[in-house]
Amino acid sequence: MALLEVESLTVRYGGLTAVSEVSFRVERGEVRAVIGPNGAGKTSLFNAITGHAPLAGGTIRFAGQRLDGLLPHEVSARGVRRTFQNGGLFGDLTALENVLAGLHTQVASGLLGVLFGLPGARAAERAATARARELLDQMGIGALADRPAGALSGGQQRMVEIVRALATRPPLLLLDEPAVGLAPAVREELLALLRRVVREEGIAVVLIEHAIEFVMSISDTILVLNEGRAIAEGTPAELPRNREVLEAYLGR
Amino acid sequence: MSEAGEAVGPVAAEAAAAARRPRRRAPGRSVFWLLPVLALPVPLLLNPYVQFVVNLILVYVLVGVGFNIVIGNLGQLAFANVAFFGLGAYASGILTVHAGWPWWTTVLPAGIVGALAGVLASLPALRRIRLFYLAILTMAFGELMRWIYIRAEPLTHGSMGLAVPPPVLLGVRLGTDRQKFYVFLALAVVVVVLTASLLRSRFGRAFMAIRDNEIAAAAMGIPTGRYFVLAFAWGGFVVGIGGAMYTALIGHVTPEAFNLLELILHFAIVMVGGLASLAGSVIGAIVLTTTPELFRDFPGFQELVLATLIILVLLFLPRGLVSLLAAWWPVFGERYYRE
Repeated sequence: MALLEVESLTVRYGGLTAVSEVSFRVERGEVRAVIGPNGAGKTSLFNAITGHAPLAGGTIRFAGQRLDGLLPHEVSARGVRRTFQNGGLFGDLTALENVLAGLHTQVASGLLGVLFGLPGARAAERAATARARELLDQMGIGALADRPAGALSGGQQRMVEIVRALATRPPLLLLDEPAVGLAPAVREELLALLRRVVREEGIAVVLIEHAIEFVMSISDTILVLNEGRAIAEGTPAELPRNREVLEAYLGR
Repeated sequence: MSEAGEAVGPVAAEAAAAARRPRRRAPGRSVFWLLPVLALPVPLLLNPYVQFVVNLILVYVLVGVGFNIVIGNLGQLAFANVAFFGLGAYASGILTVHAGWPWWTTVLPAGIVGALAGVLASLPALRRIRLFYLAILTMAFGELMRWIYIRAEPLTHGSMGLAVPPPVLLGVRLGTDRQKFYVFLALAVVVVVLTASLLRSRFGRAFMAIRDNEIAAAAMGIPTGRYFVLAFAWGGFVVGIGGAMYTALIGHVTPEAFNLLELILHFAIVMVGGLASLAGSVIGAIVLTTTPELFRDFPGFQELVLATLIILVLLFLPRGLVSLLAAWWPVFGERYYRE
C-alpha cells in the first residue's frame, strides 16, 4: 500500500474543471514532482489533497485512510503538511512562533492546564519552545528565531515555512513552488535541506515546481499535468524524451 | 552541505552572522507586577475622586483586555463588546435586585453570560462572515441588546435604569470606593494573569495564526472554528466580569451606558494602547479613562480631546502606545511562548 493514493481525482470550481481524473501514488520516502504549465491544476491538486478544495470525483487515501471530505485541520493532523505559493507564514509572529504554531498539534498542554498554570502544561509549553528553537538551529537559521516573519527576506521566509511544515515530522510534505524567486545559491541550500530531510527522516515529498534543474536533481518521479489532466509520468531520465510533455511545454 | 552536515549557503550564513552579534538580555516579565503593587497605596491619598477614577480604570482594563483578544489577537472586526459589557452589568444587577444575590456571587455569572454572548457573536464569523459585514452585524447585536434592555422593563427597569444596592463581599458591605478598590484590583489581576497564561500558550498562538493566515493555520492542524469560539468566549467572559464591576462601581445600570459612543471608547482603548498587546490594553485603559476625566469641567472639549488623541496616536504610533514603550523596554513587546 502506497503512502498516498490518489484515484481519478476531479476538482471543479463552478463551471471550470481544474483537475480531471488524475491518479498517482507516492511511496514512503519518495520525492515526486508535479510539473506543468500555469493553470494546469497543480495547486488545485494540492488543495484537494489538503482539504482546502472540494472534490467533484475520485478518492484520496493516505496510509490507507480516506482523506477526501476531511477538513483541512483534520488532514493536517493525520500527517500531511504543506507550504504555500505566496506568503504562507504568519507575518506578525516571529519565526519561532511560526514554528511553534506548526507544532500546535503536538504541544501537550490542555486549556485548563494552561489557564491555571499547571506544571504539566507549563512543562509542555517550555518543551515545545525548546523544540522549536532546536528545529530552527538544525536548519542553520536559529538566529532568525526572534525576528518577525514579515521582516525576513524571501529566502529566509521560505526556509522558515519549510521548518514549520516539517516541525511535526509529517510522513508527507507538500511543497508549492519552494524555489520560486530564490537566488541560485539559496536554491542549492534548499535542495541540500530537502535531500537531508528525505534521507534522514524518510519523509515523502510532493513538490510543485517550475525550475526544471531543481526538479531534475531531487525528484524520484515526475508527474506532468496539462489543462487538469495527467499527461505523463516518469523518472527524470525518461521524461525529456516524452513527446506529449514536449508539446505541452514547447507548444510543438 | 558541508562535510560536517551543517547547512551552508547564504541564508544560513546570514543567520550565523546574526548569532555572532551581541544580543540584549530581555528583562523578565515579572516587572509587570510593579503596576498593581504601585497601585496599592492609592487609597492612602485619601482623595475619593482619584479613587473613583482608579476604580474606573480597573473596569476598563478588563473591557480592553477582553476586546483586544477578539479584535487584536484573533484579528476579527467583531464589535459586539458593548453587548458583552452591558449583559455582564445587567446580569449582575438583575441577580442582585431581583434574586437577592450578594454582588460577589454575581461576578462569575456575569462572566458566563458574557462568554455565552461571545459564543453567539462568534457564530456569524464561523459562517465566514468577515470584515465589514461582521463589523456591522456585531454592532447591530450591541444595539439590539440596548433595545432589549429598554423593553425588558420588569427585569431591567427600562430607560430609567436599574438601581443596585452597594456591593457585598462575603457579608461585608463595600460602601466606599476605597473598599471596592481592593476587590477590583484583585479581580483585575486574576483575570489579567489568566488571560496572559492563555495568550502565552498554543491557544494564544493559534488565535494569532488564524488572524495572520486562516488557511495556513488550518494547514497546521489548528481547528479554526473551535478556536474562533474560544477567543470570543474568553473575550466575552473577561468583559462580562468588567460589567459586573461596573455595576458595583456606578450603582446604576442604564441602557444608554452601552451605546455606540461607548463602543468607540472601547475601540479607542485597544487602538491607542496597542492591538494584540496585554500591556497595551492596560495602557489604553489608563490613558482613555484619565484623559476625559482631566477635561471633565469642559464638556464638549472632552470629545475633542478624545478624538484628537485617537487621531494622533493612530497617525504616529499605529501599533499603539505600547510600541513606543517597547522601543525602549523590550519587555513591553509581547512574546507568546514560555521558555
